[in-house]
Amino acid sequence: MASPEIDEFEHLIFDWEDGTLDATGIARLRDLLRTSPSVRKLYVERQMLGAMLKLEGDAGIAAPDVEHVGLKAATSSSAEQDTRGQFDSAEDPADLPFMLHSREQIGEATNPRYASLLFVVAVSVLVCVVLTRWMLVESRLQSAGQRVPAANDVLPEKQEATSAGIAVMTRLVDVEWQESERQFTVGDAVSVGVVGLESGVAQIEFFCGATVILEGPARLVLESSTIARLKSGRLRAQVPPAARGFQIHADELRVVDLGTEFGVAVNDGEADVQVFDGEVELYQSNGEQRLVTAGNAITRAVGGVVEAAQLTPDEYLGLEALDERVRNQKQGRYQRWLGHSMELRKDPRVITYYSMEQDRYWNRKLASSVVPENRDLDGAIVGAKRVVGRWPEKSGVEFKRPGDRVRVNIPGQFGSLTFACWVKIDSLDRWYNSLFLTDSYQRGEPHWQILDTGQLFFSVRLGGGPGKGHHKVLSPPFWDASLSGRWLHLATTYDVETKTTTHFLNGEKLSEERIPDQLFVQQTCIGKATIGNWSSPTRPEADFAIRNLNGSMDEFVLFRDALKPDEIRALFIQGSP
Amino acid sequence: MKDTEQTEFFVQHLTECQGRLFGYIYSMLGEHSRAMDVVQETNLVLWRKKDEFRSGAPFMPWALAIARFQVLAHVRDQGRDKCLLDSELVAALSEETEQQVDELETMRTALRKCMSDLPREKKGLLQLRYYHSMPIAEIADSMGRNVNAVKVALLRLRRGLADCMHRRMLEG
Repeated sequence: MASPEIDEFEHLIFDWEDGTLDATGIARLRDLLRTSPSVRKLYVERQMLGAMLKLEGDAGIAAPDVEHVGLKAATSSSAEQDTRGQFDSAEDPADLPFMLHSREQIGEATNPRYASLLFVVAVSVLVCVVLTRWMLVESRLQSAGQRVPAANDVLPEKQEATSAGIAVMTRLVDVEWQESERQFTVGDAVSVGVVGLESGVAQIEFFCGATVILEGPARLVLESSTIARLKSGRLRAQVPPAARGFQIHADELRVVDLGTEFGVAVNDGEADVQVFDGEVELYQSNGEQRLVTAGNAITRAVGGVVEAAQLTPDEYLGLEALDERVRNQKQGRYQRWLGHSMELRKDPRVITYYSMEQDRYWNRKLASSVVPENRDLDGAIVGAKRVVGRWPEKSGVEFKRPGDRVRVNIPGQFGSLTFACWVKIDSLDRWYNSLFLTDSYQRGEPHWQILDTGQLFFSVRLGGGPGKGHHKVLSPPFWDASLSGRWLHLATTYDVETKTTTHFLNGEKLSEERIPDQLFVQQTCIGKATIGNWSSPTRPEADFAIRNLNGSMDEFVLFRDALKPDEIRALFIQGSP
Repeated sequence: MKDTEQTEFFVQHLTECQGRLFGYIYSMLGEHSRAMDVVQETNLVLWRKKDEFRSGAPFMPWALAIARFQVLAHVRDQGRDKCLLDSELVAALSEETEQQVDELETMRTALRKCMSDLPREKKGLLQLRYYHSMPIAEIADSMGRNVNAVKVALLRLRRGLADCMHRRMLEG
């Protein structure tokens, strides 16, 4: 019935699936697939059958009465071990595994299959959302840094899917970036590419689990989540067991980690490798391989000669020493902010200012920092918790529950306004997430909030007919999950001279928009208002009555003037954590 | 909200196509865990591009086109050492696979019927090999039979199953 070709193919594909087909067999299999349409058809049929059996298998294993095998038993090798273990110890080895899937289970596979698929989808969608948002920021940051990933004409999808990052920048101390390379901030995802330090220290945590401390001047090329190439400079790698196999390449030298802590330095064609703990394998370009154990060091001269060298661990900055420097830096930055804050309090343009400097945790009053002192401007904390702010020395207010808020009352009439705050957003749960909202929304009253799309939203009420009573100015989306938990500086200016509203993120202009004459309001006012929520909305039945922020704020300032971009920039720089 | 509806709709599509996506990708790669990886990558890309998908358009061809890109990328990255198919073969086999994937759910119903007709030890053999991805040598070992006997039995079983499914599908 079957032609010899088909017969041959069936054996070959069978062995290939089993992983026992040799190179000659594979070549023959490919040839058959290339030349014979009937083989191709059969290949697809057989593969499809395999896929369906897999799907049935995944479904059956997820059924409740074989729970102990675990959800991923079909794919995970450890679960396979389990199954086999039971198998071996069973009295009747032929029987037991077959009982894992009774006839009924096959028949009823639909539900658990669906459930497990749903689970897979739910997880993957979640992962997608997180990764997607991450990648968005990635691409935004990259384009901001004038760095575009290498064009890939044939397969653009792949390029996108792998740009999710392979490491995270976790600490930076006194860093000057090489001009041609991307500038990172703490918490940024790092993609395949170059990290170039002019000076300073960067701590990079690879997704595989390895941590690298890179000391400038240095250039490190990240090639994957397990491989990096040190072009120049010095690094120390700490590799926990989970990340074993992590590699640092230095010229043609490959350092493969076997669970350890080691240092690598590259300087003018010379490479040093020092092992502080555990051991590493060293591969040379001539194929030679050697093991370097703890307490030993080698140096490779320009010519390629490798010899033993003196161990000098102090030359390689470790995690603990870096921590010390980070703390010093933080302390320095806090002091810098404090100095700036003291000046800000005296600025006559300040309407109200909550510096939240050293407020007591039990104090439910949010003291206004304006000088000269005006206790009428103090805010009342409702529900919200006192938390640590940008630095351990500084406090902030955390908004979590729908009731959490800070109430303020700011009398007076104004023209131009500037809102600025340091905020840490955990997530944007509401359609409207409040930064600062006046209680009512009457003529001249401003609303400052963030949409769930991650866009800053600012409007001043004109009054008049419903819906038409204001001109809303939206920034492009600036927030996504990758910024979750990071301190951000947000500012918006309302300039009555130029009739423009401008949004800023971290001292940089996000967008600027001129307000149409018919919707422009010259005179502004605040009155009773709420930070981090919305109080007594005029229509309690309205859909969007809940506008609480999910996050923390540790500084808020309102000016009776539209600050210039460089002034906004200064607020950011002086307060940068 | 409109966007929410759109998202729910999309997630529903995405959920429904998981089996077929896996079928397609597994057919191209023939290895379970790598196929799962590529399914995840494909989901990721689909999710990212969800705004490009309009609710009126058929979802599956669009998803399969993206899956094909992901398979090609995977094949290109992993190279000939790991993958049986090269990009040329992926292209040559895609059309046939896409057609068969279209019928995957019908085929699965047929497969379940055929499986339920199998004697227990034959079913057990299939389960060891396909549900648990156990290598032939280990199956043979555990059953105290020689490798070739197990291989022949499995080959026959597979052929028998395929024939049974054809018949069942013709019966409807």
